[in-house]
Amino acid sequence: MPHLDAAFNLARWLTGNTADAEDVVQDAYLRAFRYLDAFRGDNFRVWLLTIVRNSFLDWLKDNRSGRNLFQPAPADLESTDPNPTPEAMLLDRVDGETLSILMARLPAEYREVLILREIEDLSYKDIAAVTGLPAGTVMSRLSRARLALRKAWTENEKKS
Amino acid sequence: MNHDRAKMLLPAYADRQTGPLRRFLLGRHIARCPSCLAELETMHAMRTAMRINLPMHRAPPSLAMRIGTALPREAPPSIRWRPMRSGMAGSALAGGLAGIALTVAVTQLSPQPDTLIADVVSDHVRSLMADHLTDVATSDRHTVKPWLSDRLDLSPVVKDFAIEGYPLAGGRLDYVKGHRAAAIVYRRDKHVINLFAFVSDDRSELAPRQLALNGFNVVRWRMDGLSYVAVSDVEASQLLAFARLVMGGP
Ligand SMILES: [Zn+2]
Repeated sequence: MPHLDAAFNLARWLTGNTADAEDVVQDAYLRAFRYLDAFRGDNFRVWLLTIVRNSFLDWLKDNRSGRNLFQPAPADLESTDPNPTPEAMLLDRVDGETLSILMARLPAEYREVLILREIEDLSYKDIAAVTGLPAGTVMSRLSRARLALRKAWTENEKKS
Repeated sequence: MNHDRAKMLLPAYADRQTGPLRRFLLGRHIARCPSCLAELETMHAMRTAMRINLPMHRAPPSLAMRIGTALPREAPPSIRWRPMRSGMAGSALAGGLAGIALTVAVTQLSPQPDTLIADVVSDHVRSLMADHLTDVATSDRHTVKPWLSDRLDLSPVVKDFAIEGYPLAGGRLDYVKGHRAAAIVYRRDKHVINLFAFVSDDRSELAPRQLALNGFNVVRWRMDGLSYVAVSDVEASQLLAFARLVMGGP
């Protein structure tokens, strides 16, 4: 099945658990299959990831109140200047478990752009297609997401 | 470029999403600006940390099977462009499809895609998604070829190219533009190649032509009165090499 790992990884990061991710991915593939003939884009993976995200939104509506998900991020995350200290060295030391926890705490709107950009390596244009964001705002969304993750990271370092 | 502007555009630079001129101007600024350089390094470090340390959640093996079971076994071959069901309206999917419809409208302004190619690419993806690659799964061409010939009034080339790196995986009955077609399935590393063979109205010889659609590579040709179309996501050069093997050429 094409791009199943990419679809599952995105769904897993959006839902936060394996069982729900499987449901979302299954729903997405059934939809994709049904509407396969309507696909006339140029990138099948981008098309599939778009459907995964749509399935996730429907899953949210059915299963959760949607709180804490796809809500505007707190204003302080948007205006804070990044810490000018050389964080690059700090970032190298973070372990996978800590990183997972920090990621999971981010709003879903930040998680998805980070996964699509850093893991899936999608262009801004493709990220816009998947998320429905205007193409011009992908970069600023990504910047805020990175800043939020760095902030969480720095705070975590201070605590430990 | 001044610092404020450069700083704003740094993410696009780190993500390689700028044009060449802007990239050049940004690069020149960064080389002279310790603050922007540090910021750029932090962005790179973050990406490296995510790529290396963030767990990649792989789909459990059972999921592909589960989806395969849930999918309709055979999709009606003749119906294309099925109308959207009214029951779907209002869902997030309807929104997604509106976007797709828009894409369709835009792409059709450019030259119409070859409907035959669109058809075989769709068949290819369908065969992968439905986990219904083969009706007869074997690398033995003496099994695959008669199996296909018995069911179709045609006798396509069926060979095992395992030594050349394209092992035969089996055969399947499929449809191309509403006509029954033989689908001969090969593998290239982890990729699948679907080779469709069918009788077309035009039986004249045709040298191989390379095309790409929807991220898939396609090579089509005609020989011995049969139309052949190879579809895969392998690199175009590899697919062409495969086509030449089937043609029996060098
Ligand atoms: Zn600067």
